Amino acid sequence: MKLTEILRLVWLNLSQNKSKVVLTSIGILAGSATIMMVLAIGRGGQLEVAEQFKNLNAGAIDIVCDGETEEEGVMAGMMGPPGAGGGPGGGPGNNASQNTLTLSEEDMEDILTFVPGLSDATISFSTKADVDGGYLEETTNYTIAGVMDNYGELSNLELAIGDFLTEENVEGKEKVCVLGYDVAKEIFGSAYDAYDGEVYIDNRRYTVSGIIEEMGTVASGISPDEAIFIPYDTGIKYLTGSEVNPTITVIAEDVDTVKSIIRTIQDMLTEKYPKGKFTLSDAGSKMEAASKSNETLQLLLIAMAAIVFLVGGIGIMNVLFVSVKERTNEIGILKAIGCDRKDVLTEFLLEAACISLVGALLGVAFGLAITPVIESFSVRVELTVQGAVLSLAFGVITGSIFGFYPAYKASRMIPVEALNHE
Amino acid sequence: MAEELIRLVNMNKGYMLGEERVPVLKNICFTVERGEYVAILGPSGSGKTTLMNVIGCMDVLDSGEYYLDHQAIHSMPQEALTEVRNREIGFIFQNYQLIPTYNVLQNIIMPLIIRGMGHREAEEKCMETIRLLGINHRLEHRPSELSGGQKQRVSIARALVGEPALLLADEPTGALDRSSGKDVLKLFGQLNEMGHTIVMITHDLSVAKSAKRIVSIVDGELSEQPPG
Repeated sequence: MKLTEILRLVWLNLSQNKSKVVLTSIGILAGSATIMMVLAIGRGGQLEVAEQFKNLNAGAIDIVCDGETEEEGVMAGMMGPPGAGGGPGGGPGNNASQNTLTLSEEDMEDILTFVPGLSDATISFSTKADVDGGYLEETTNYTIAGVMDNYGELSNLELAIGDFLTEENVEGKEKVCVLGYDVAKEIFGSAYDAYDGEVYIDNRRYTVSGIIEEMGTVASGISPDEAIFIPYDTGIKYLTGSEVNPTITVIAEDVDTVKSIIRTIQDMLTEKYPKGKFTLSDAGSKMEAASKSNETLQLLLIAMAAIVFLVGGIGIMNVLFVSVKERTNEIGILKAIGCDRKDVLTEFLLEAACISLVGALLGVAFGLAITPVIESFSVRVELTVQGAVLSLAFGVITGSIFGFYPAYKASRMIPVEALNHE
Repeated sequence: MAEELIRLVNMNKGYMLGEERVPVLKNICFTVERGEYVAILGPSGSGKTTLMNVIGCMDVLDSGEYYLDHQAIHSMPQEALTEVRNREIGFIFQNYQLIPTYNVLQNIIMPLIIRGMGHREAEEKCMETIRLLGINHRLEHRPSELSGGQKQRVSIARALVGEPALLLADEPTGALDRSSGKDVLKLFGQLNEMGHTIVMITHDLSVAKSAKRIVSIVDGELSEQPPG
């Protein structure tokens, strides 16, 4: 029999049993919708992770001092004592006298000089301070980040308007600032109004030299949208004094060497400050952990989709078995007048595939329909054409697999017995 | 000299009943020549349906030989028997055996569609048969919308469209009223006049008498009845 004629018969049978087709396909509908949502939520999760980490460089390593284990920090080793008062908190020498060990610009320079495989380094801190100015009706507490001029580049910050802090700003301890997008909107109404405006941080006037593009939520470090960036040394001088525990961020030239660089820095710092406790974390590991947790969620959802498909497939199989039973006489007639096993098998298999296709199409439509509902629960859903195609394919394949056995049974019927079936 | 269409030689057929083998057809020797109109007459349980299934290539024989149109049916595999049923035999069943979800035309063209013909070509090919049987005004109707006589005409049309060598009818008037039954038998007579070979299975002597030759089957054994 020609395939077109078999398809014609399939259409004939299905079009006369529309409600049965729809009811049979509900399992596949659920499976396809689930697969589509799994892929969309998974993709949404991936993008979310990527966006949350977009201010991080994959080769970045953050170094934070967690204080001392027992007595004051003792300097030793190849680098010698850091210069007093050279860095934030006065450097380890000063910190020792306060029994509080913090890192300094000098430590950053030492690490950059003595640890091989680093391309750049920066130091930053964050604190909270009262801010006034613009359209603010009352003094508001904001996150103030003291950063070096290279912080913007290393954190992938893009400016909506103006420039990031310059070397001159930092070295001259100038009172300039760069506003995060949300901060600019809150204080001035918009990024454009904020540019070249003035804000008062801890009652000191700062000129706004730039506004950062909207970055969204970030998973680690200072949230750029909600911070005011000022030169590092300005912050030390006017805001924190020595009461600051900065973070040194170094960038590995090769992401693959991050682990060994962490070990080298750890060894170096331990040698320099035997009593010091340091936390070294790399952005890659954070990204990996976040991606892993996203993958775990996705696997869980895929497992759920598989179960739904299994149930849907069994549903199709059951209905097709009933259908084969109901149509035993018809199968007998077809076989009596010369329809061979292959044609009967093809017809029933195509019916299963078509029912599945209907279910899968409805599933995709259902997936599209419930997307806004899922998004209302703050879940990011990223629908893709590939996701829709894949869920269609999964639906049809599942239905066809489960439809095979009933179709096979139909094709193996003995004409005489099938004809006499009541 | 007439050409032989069916030849059964020492054919035996039986069924297993538990562990015991029950013989149904015993040493059947039977021939039908092309153009004959033969009735196989027998009471219930005589084995006539089994004989029809064997002649119709829907069942295989246990022993013996069966030739249909010079083809050795007894040594053919299932796939080949399927093709023989499609090309060589036109079935007419007591209860019509029409597919309820197809309309009249779709039912009629099925043997041609199965043969690999496209539906347009098949529809054109069957139009003459449809006119002959007087069902051209019922083509879009479903079997449930037809009378018994009309259903049997559809069944006959389906049997004829493939231009088979043999028309095999199983109790063709069994489900019909007397008038419709007479019409069908008259039609059989006409078809035979046109050259069709017909083998009809029946338990009804009056029906069998419409055939030109009657063969009785009793307890699985055939015997020729004298004409008249």
